[in-house]
Amino acid sequence: MKKKKMIISQETMDVDFVRKVEALSGTSVRRCFQCGKCSAGCPMATFMEHPPNRVVRLLQLGQWQRILAGRSIWYCASCETCSTRCPNKVHLASIMDALRKLSWDAEGASKESYVQLANKLFLQNIRTYGRQYEMRLAAVFNVKSGQFLKDLMLGPKLLAKGKLKMFHSKNKNMSEIEKIFSRIEAMRKNGEAL
Amino acid sequence: MSRIGVFICHCGENISRTVDVERVAAEVGKMPGVSFSTDYKYMCSDPGQNLLKNAIQEQKLTHIVVAACSPRMHEKTFRKAVEAAGLNPYLCEMANIREHCSWVHENKEEATVKATEIVGMMVERVKKNRVLPTITVPVTKRSLVIGGGIAGIQAALDIADCGHEVVLVEREPSIGGHMAQLSETFPTLDCSQCIMTPKMVDVANHPKIKLYTYSEIELVEGYIGNFQVTIKKKARSVDEDRCTGCGVCMTKCPQKKIPNKFDQNIGMRTAIYVPFPQAVPNTPVIDRDNCTWYKTGKCGVCQKVCGPGAVDFEQQDQLVVEPVGAIVVATGFDLYTIDEKPKGSPIKGYGEFGHGKIPDVIDGMTFERLASASGPTGGKILRPSDGKEPKQIVFIQCIGSRAREKGISYCSKVCCMYTAKHTMLYHHKVHDGQAYVFFMDARTPGKSYDEFWRRSIEEEEAVYIRGMVSRLYQKGDKIVVMGSDIAVGVQVEIEADMVVLATAIQPQKGAELLAQKLGISYDKYNFYSEAHAKLRPVECATAGIYLAGACQGPKDIPETVSQASAAAAKVMTLFSKDQLEREPIVARVKESGCVGCFACKKVCAYGAVEEKEIRDRQGNLIKTVAFVNPGVCAGCGTCQATCPSKSVELDGYTDEQVIAMIEAL
Repeated sequence: MKKKKMIISQETMDVDFVRKVEALSGTSVRRCFQCGKCSAGCPMATFMEHPPNRVVRLLQLGQWQRILAGRSIWYCASCETCSTRCPNKVHLASIMDALRKLSWDAEGASKESYVQLANKLFLQNIRTYGRQYEMRLAAVFNVKSGQFLKDLMLGPKLLAKGKLKMFHSKNKNMSEIEKIFSRIEAMRKNGEAL
Repeated sequence: MSRIGVFICHCGENISRTVDVERVAAEVGKMPGVSFSTDYKYMCSDPGQNLLKNAIQEQKLTHIVVAACSPRMHEKTFRKAVEAAGLNPYLCEMANIREHCSWVHENKEEATVKATEIVGMMVERVKKNRVLPTITVPVTKRSLVIGGGIAGIQAALDIADCGHEVVLVEREPSIGGHMAQLSETFPTLDCSQCIMTPKMVDVANHPKIKLYTYSEIELVEGYIGNFQVTIKKKARSVDEDRCTGCGVCMTKCPQKKIPNKFDQNIGMRTAIYVPFPQAVPNTPVIDRDNCTWYKTGKCGVCQKVCGPGAVDFEQQDQLVVEPVGAIVVATGFDLYTIDEKPKGSPIKGYGEFGHGKIPDVIDGMTFERLASASGPTGGKILRPSDGKEPKQIVFIQCIGSRAREKGISYCSKVCCMYTAKHTMLYHHKVHDGQAYVFFMDARTPGKSYDEFWRRSIEEEEAVYIRGMVSRLYQKGDKIVVMGSDIAVGVQVEIEADMVVLATAIQPQKGAELLAQKLGISYDKYNFYSEAHAKLRPVECATAGIYLAGACQGPKDIPETVSQASAAAAKVMTLFSKDQLEREPIVARVKESGCVGCFACKKVCAYGAVEEKEIRDRQGNLIKTVAFVNPGVCAGCGTCQATCPSKSVELDGYTDEQVIAMIEAL
């Protein structure tokens, strides 16, 4: 992968975005002095193109596009090892949460991320059926991500074991489920939730 | 018959690791004249010294050899112990089996043989040692302080407050040094002028301080307690007694465009000037190179307007001799410049930063003058090229420092902190601006220092980028900074309006020449050397001369002030006695053999050799011979080596002793 030169100026450093992250996560990005302890203990760091310390470093420079273009934030397992061990009380797990939320809102930025797509479809299913309908989740995911044959051969095995249902079953209390979703949506609108 | 005691030290493991000390002790015990020999883990410790003292008394020893480290380290320690046991201290010698043997060899067998031989030599030598009486010399209770920066001022005030007279010599027209140039100081951001100028006034008003500004040290003679210092008072062209400091001469001087060194040459001054308005003394100086009168013989406006008639174009340099007992050297530092350096200089410049050709690339001290309320811009941060306010400012640390290739491998110690301070000052003055700092390491050890640095990032919004800058170049009215962020691992480019370089600290120009006049040692960078890095950090190896401040190595203000007070304490310790005891290792002339050629007088670096007339009972002159003044003699032995008739002998290092040592091999 060719690394693009970073042009730093007041224009490229998106201070507003960083402020948003800081407000959402309730932690300071500037406090980090790049000791690397977060990356040292991160179980997912080997899968990330930007290890956790570099995510914070890029945030310090306001270079959020570089973070959202990658998959680091989606690989984060929210185990909070980084937050627990940080010597500067930078709550990195919260920062990751905030970044996922902002990435979700910005959409485009992390189009290539299937994790985001999977999460989205997962929640849609819950909203529609009140529980998970795996068959539909897998089918829609494969169609939307353009990988039609992905994991196809797993289907019959799971069906045989009864792990996958052919037809959906619906929750009886759909109105209650809808209430939860609309409440969260309202909270988000007011900025009370991520 | 001498009864020699030999004590072999293990020096922990330093010696015993490569030298079989028990075997050395046994071998030495068999040598003629040696009646006692033993070894011990730490001879210099209290039990070690007691071992020595008890052995002297129990074994009735007459001479002592301690085989341990260098005599530079512990000769005094053991001679004191020997004296306490009732022997003359100069009957004790040290054999160096650490630096000269165990540290430089690996083969235990060979090292043991060598150690035995070294000890054997000293045994032969000590047999011929004489009882030497201590020499006492009177102490002149006045002190000289060289340099009127914060170090010199603090040392002078401390000594003077103790009631001793101080002669303070400053090269520039005003005292104050570099600290007077600073705008604010870390880590508290108090204004430098506010804490500095009262001290300067204290110096000027102190009845015990004699101030020589615009003066230099010409010659230093004598020795601890009795120095004769010749000071050159450069011609000010203004009579200090008559001048009232009204400043009319400066307003009327037609030469107004001379770059002011105090303002790092970005501010202008007149030909008759004080470097800054708060100068002490507030007496102007005429810069003869730029004055119209000295160049053409016409003008003389300052003389005409001067009410008290203080301007004196005929004034000459004056030489003044001051007798002092102690000297504090506080000559401070100079800044590394990025320009190309002259050919043959051990220090190199930076080509990649524009050779100082880009006008808006300035150094940290220039930034201090820009930020200073009394500076050329009145405290506004403005670009030197077009006077615009820079909105993007880049600071680069470690310019010259930690750059072995450029000739300086040390860390200048203060740059990390003053750069953090600069970002704050900038943020306070240019609210919509952004400061960037390129750095390799942030070194902030010190009380409240790291907190200060973090504050510049967390609260004052400075962006620190770990990684060095490769190159600077002008693009339109911007300076393109090409660097890298090693935390992200990408190249970084910033278009800056101004670039500030944190340049290295170097010793003051001509530091080595002053050191040669004083007879003190200096390192390869020309920083003055202390007698011992840890245990005698403010004393020079040359007795009676003390160090304060950045002339010894890079230091910040708190450290400089502490060291200045420490040097003052050392001076006061010296002044607490009326008589000073000196080592009696001095040269003696055998008058019967002396032919009066005075070759010794010519080579003596200390002026210790005098002429002495020998007369018979009727008063007729028989001959004139050399005489060595024991108070002045430093015991270097040059006269002994020079004397053609072998009539001079240095006590403790006589030919007889040296030959005995060689024969023992």
